[in-house]
Amino acid sequence: MFTRLSAAAAALVLFVIPSGSASSRPNDAAAPQAAPATLALTLPNKADSLKFAVLGDFGTGSRQQYELAAVMKRVYDAFPYELVILVGDNLYGSERPQDFKKKFEIPYKPLIDAGVKFYASLGNHDAREQRYYQLFNMDGKLYYTFKGSKQSLRFYALESTYMDPDQIVWFEKELKNSDSAWKIPYFHHPPYSSGDRHGSDARLREVLEPLFIKYNVSVVFTGHDHFYERTKPQKDIVYFVVGSGGQLRKGNVDRGSGITAGFNDTDYVFLAAEVNGDEMWFNAVSRQAQVIDSGVITRRK
Amino acid sequence: MCRFAFRRFLALPAAAALALAACNRAEPPAQSPEQAKPAPAAQPSVEPAPPKEGQPVNADARALETMLARINDYAERHKKLEDTLPKLSKESTPEQIDRNQRALQRLIQKERHGVKPGAIFTPDVQAVIKRLLEKVFAGPDGAALRGSIMDENPLTIRLAVNERYPDSVPLSTVPPQVLQGLPKLPEEMEFRFVGRYLILMDVHAHLVVDLIENALPT
Repeated sequence: MFTRLSAAAAALVLFVIPSGSASSRPNDAAAPQAAPATLALTLPNKADSLKFAVLGDFGTGSRQQYELAAVMKRVYDAFPYELVILVGDNLYGSERPQDFKKKFEIPYKPLIDAGVKFYASLGNHDAREQRYYQLFNMDGKLYYTFKGSKQSLRFYALESTYMDPDQIVWFEKELKNSDSAWKIPYFHHPPYSSGDRHGSDARLREVLEPLFIKYNVSVVFTGHDHFYERTKPQKDIVYFVVGSGGQLRKGNVDRGSGITAGFNDTDYVFLAAEVNGDEMWFNAVSRQAQVIDSGVITRRK
Repeated sequence: MCRFAFRRFLALPAAAALALAACNRAEPPAQSPEQAKPAPAAQPSVEPAPPKEGQPVNADARALETMLARINDYAERHKKLEDTLPKLSKESTPEQIDRNQRALQRLIQKERHGVKPGAIFTPDVQAVIKRLLEKVFAGPDGAALRGSIMDENPLTIRLAVNERYPDSVPLSTVPPQVLQGLPKLPEEMEFRFVGRYLILMDVHAHLVVDLIENALPT
């Protein structure tokens, strides 16, 4: 399993900010954004691929969240992903009905109206009742699994703030019973992260990593640290931190961690991805509609 | 650290009690159930059946059995009250979710009005749980476990039993290694840490059911 850029993608990447670097232009997260740049995605956008997005730590109701949401719609228009997996912290603070509207339904209304489905996992800021919320598609469960509508792919939404023995047993059983080529877990706390604020959750890693290895997981999506990071393969598995959907901790990536393959801690970011056969292509897209990281992961076998 | 207690998943509360008993062989005996204070107001006395004649009794195991009996009783009462409310479906609206949660909160608060800390975590139980946690955190991973729990965890907040868990306070992570050493709870409840409190939280009603002060070892 490895990450690489195809020749075609590499050519397109000339138009984007290099992976793992900060933009050289002024990028004050608090300042209103200028008109976004031309979108230059580097995804194959194949007809039969399973297209999805990843979003985390977003539910603030802030202007920046709304601006990134608008970029998500722009990306959708060019790259019609059918679902968004949410890596937690879906609603910060109060969770009254008006908060669901302000922090979720209004910013993502264009996507919801277009038929995009959101599949939530819970973070440490999320109340357990979110599992009943229709638009989070959690089926009333704290942890759950679902198959992609195309390709051989299964997602596993885990609850990482309370990883009790029952959940671990359930997760292994589901991994074992699945014949999907791609098994993609997602949850809030990152087993690997270069965050100065939170960083790697080694206790969680101790429990989950052996299962990822045993059952051929190739890629894991998480949040919690408020930036974007893609790790170098750790025991052949690539870990993404996509925790800047509505919160940003500027300059928080430890440049010396040694595990980083790509990162951005200067702007709000979500990830667009598509699985086609044994390959998963990804573009991390910022609030300025810039592709700040891209590549392709070939699954483990 | 008694590794036996935490190496494997303890799916049954009895296993936790037995493991703890195994850990405690060399320690002075805990306060016996007979020495425990009576159940506080608004908490009916729920005790496990007395041991049969000739059956060995471990004070720690018995204390945990008492705690679990009281937790199960709480869960039963919770269910009865929840059954009086419209059932949430997997397609609920935020309005339905909010209405149910707050209605359940009010019903439970009314039923448990006047309840004091220690209704479930009796002095015996508190001693057992604290010892259990001390063993977990005394191990080589203790500092890291504590770090996970204290991540985004407020230090100065004051909590009260039968009051709403504060909306502004994120839930602490409870690492799997800690959960493996604690008794399994009914679906309605979770163990969480807030500062150094260990709380028993009703996650449907957002209520602090009971708490142990200074439970998290320094």
